[in-house]
Amino acid sequence: MGRFLLRRLGFALLLVFVVSSAALLLTRLAPGDFTIDQALTLDPAARERLRAELGLDQPLAVQYLSWLRGAVQFDFGRSLLYSRPVSTLLSERALNTAVLATAALLFATAIGIPLGIYTGSRRRGLGRSIVRVLSVLGISMPPLIGSLMLVFIAARTGWFPVGGMSSAGGLDLSWGPWLADLATHLPLPALALGIPLAASLERLQSQAIAAASHEQFVTASRARGLARTQALLRHAWPVSLRPVLGLYGVMVASLFSGSFIVEVVTSWPGLGRLMFEALRARDLFLVAGCAATGALFLALGTLIADLLLAYTDPRAGSGERA
Amino acid sequence: MNRQSRALLSVLIFGVITFGAWRWLNTPERDDSAGEIVISEVASRGGRLTASLRSEPRTFNRLIDQNFPVDLYAILTSSKLIRVNRATRALEPGLVEKWSTSPDTLTHTLTLRDGVTWSDGTPFTSADVLFTFQAIYDPKVASVLASGLSVNGQPFKVTAPDARTVIVTLPAPFGPGIAILDNVHVQPKHKLQAALAAGTFRDALGVATPPADLAIIGPFMLRSYEPGQRMVFDRNPRYWKKDAAGIQLPYAEQVVLEVVPDQNAELVRLQGGQIDMLQQPIRPEDVATLRPLIDQGRVRVIELGVGTDPDLLFFNLRSPYWAKDPRREWITRKEFRKALSHAVDREAYANTVFLGAGVPIWGPITPGNKEWFSPNVFRYGYSVERAREILAELGLVNRDADEWLEDASNTEARFTLLTFRGNSSLERGTAFLRDALRPIGVAVDVVTLEQGTVVQRMLKSDFDAIMLFFSTTNLDPAMNPDFWLSSGPAHVWNVAQATPATDWEKEIDDLMREMTAQVDPAERKRLFDQVQRVFAENLPTLSFVAPRLHMGVSGRVGGLEPSILRPQLLWNVDRITVQSAGR
Repeated sequence: MGRFLLRRLGFALLLVFVVSSAALLLTRLAPGDFTIDQALTLDPAARERLRAELGLDQPLAVQYLSWLRGAVQFDFGRSLLYSRPVSTLLSERALNTAVLATAALLFATAIGIPLGIYTGSRRRGLGRSIVRVLSVLGISMPPLIGSLMLVFIAARTGWFPVGGMSSAGGLDLSWGPWLADLATHLPLPALALGIPLAASLERLQSQAIAAASHEQFVTASRARGLARTQALLRHAWPVSLRPVLGLYGVMVASLFSGSFIVEVVTSWPGLGRLMFEALRARDLFLVAGCAATGALFLALGTLIADLLLAYTDPRAGSGERA
Repeated sequence: MNRQSRALLSVLIFGVITFGAWRWLNTPERDDSAGEIVISEVASRGGRLTASLRSEPRTFNRLIDQNFPVDLYAILTSSKLIRVNRATRALEPGLVEKWSTSPDTLTHTLTLRDGVTWSDGTPFTSADVLFTFQAIYDPKVASVLASGLSVNGQPFKVTAPDARTVIVTLPAPFGPGIAILDNVHVQPKHKLQAALAAGTFRDALGVATPPADLAIIGPFMLRSYEPGQRMVFDRNPRYWKKDAAGIQLPYAEQVVLEVVPDQNAELVRLQGGQIDMLQQPIRPEDVATLRPLIDQGRVRVIELGVGTDPDLLFFNLRSPYWAKDPRREWITRKEFRKALSHAVDREAYANTVFLGAGVPIWGPITPGNKEWFSPNVFRYGYSVERAREILAELGLVNRDADEWLEDASNTEARFTLLTFRGNSSLERGTAFLRDALRPIGVAVDVVTLEQGTVVQRMLKSDFDAIMLFFSTTNLDPAMNPDFWLSSGPAHVWNVAQATPATDWEKEIDDLMREMTAQVDPAERKRLFDQVQRVFAENLPTLSFVAPRLHMGVSGRVGGLEPSILRPQLLWNVDRITVQSAGR
């Protein structure tokens, strides 16, 4: 297990390095730079002075090496857009994204897995059909439409705040009321993110458990007198988790690296929006920082999925063929 | 999916629709509808005004950034020396109580208002005005205001004989006169002089600056900024302005700017009553969506009139770009542009792109700019036949079996048109043009790119043609020399020329300089009419339709004086009232 973890850690570091470097280099190579917004208002000489002051007139190699030197000391430079350290911006937004991602993941897991077990263990029935239809709807709904629909429902009914992470004046609240305020703002974006994921998990879990329930060891456990539900949960479910956990890693990674559309529609101040704004403004260092954070979450997501898989199926952790 | 599932799906969809309709019809009216008010009669103090904002400010320093969120921040927290009333276009005293102008119109003596203080209690004096101009003209600051606050490239001379007097001397006669001070947002010397001396002025007033460290002189002061979510402003108790009845302004107790990047979500929030005001004009198609709320009096749609931002289609008129291109014989000729202008049915364009909420235009000054618009500018009426004739005179005829024209070298009449990705009006407009030019045999390849990429291609003269909306920040053309003068960075068809490339550009340069130096309004108008005539004759840019602008606002907001310029509603935020019941 130790070697497995070390291998994964090495992979994570390599991924972060490659992705952030590529993001910085590609942004730098794209036409225009951070001063392009002011190109029509500043005279060319003033714009050149501004470029020099921001270091944008430096050759690509100099800029990259300078950034790299800082990055190995966890200094990702200063955002041109916000005139603030990139690491500060990232930590603020990554925390917001993590809160939302965790809520969405918990919702998707709590709904998708049990429903998947339920539908996968039955061959017919009204309940199974209802869940299947809802799952198809959940998967088919584009994130933009789903988010807008939820915002619309919230606006019409007043059941939830329609956007944002806190109410106006939320910063002045003490911890308890602040958490309560956050809890009222969380359902809308968490549902927008979580519903399609829950539907995907349900479908995958359903198919996996249906296949696992036909395995010989499940039949044998039933023959030894184990109840059907116990046989499914104790023997079939752990085996069925392998494909589900494979998807889980990708889900964790994509959720934690920011969900741009949901964040935009529900005004959630997360990483996805920050990355988009950084890209639009050609903010080199912020783009690289966002990409590094996304890559880190991707690596962590796959690591968590692998660890869970190793826990449920020891053959995976030891490298044995399953 | 089996039959049972399909049947169930149908039942489910029906159920959802029925439930939705039931909820819709049974949603109780909000309390605020009980207290219906007549907008113009509201004059009470207090209440919270919530407005939307699509993007966030990158800085709180208006001298280095003129993007809309920064400008809006400045309007809320700053006061101008002298203000141009955006509704009436009249000059109004601001921090300058009165002023006088020398007979040669070069020297303006300003008397500052007495007893005005910054929000931290520090007195406002002429030293702050001097400091602000010093910062604007400092090359290290690279202020976006520097070029606008100069005449013929020369900065103003600003002196202060005493704490309440400022003398501004212009280097040459200047038509807009003292109105140019409308651009100046005064900065607190006591807070920023150290940063200017250290060369770090651009970093001062970053968005992470604690609100307590921001000294302001406007109606509202920042209480909190939650990045990605909102900015909350409280009434500035030290604001200097009172209304005619002696009531301390601003009327509203608090202003909240909610960051809502998505236009659809913004509209839903207005419908739901979560925000009172949109910052962007609403799309024509959204007016129908708001109709039920308009009928209930809960939302008002205010028509501002014809917008002042023209759409511009321009070809690259820089010769080196076309040097090795066989199309050079005809694509840069004004006759080619005239043919295209004749080929476009502008009424149909307005109906297709703006759902009828637009008026045809033939130049960059739209009818929305009433003071400077010239109705006598030549109009290239819709005529496909005339367009074909002109193209034939250019040697463009159909020489093969396809539908496109070719020149003598058999090169197709085809060009690439770049436009901004994500701007639905431009995307629809360019698609309309592509279809409109097909009947005359001219092929258009529309390419949508990120805004920054298009601007970069324009600056490098690496394009065939570009279409965009040109943002008008000031209605007086003398304040937009960047567009009109051949040396300007926004002279889009051939930017920043060392000397005018053509005779007609030189003629426009000369007329604009004369008009800028002229102080007699009638003579200025006459000169600018001539500019528009020369422009229409040579058509460096083609314009098609200017949209009619509509703003959406909650029924509980009063005291509005809508303007055609941004921010259309919040420019007089200190006089806006808001009914606090129901919140």
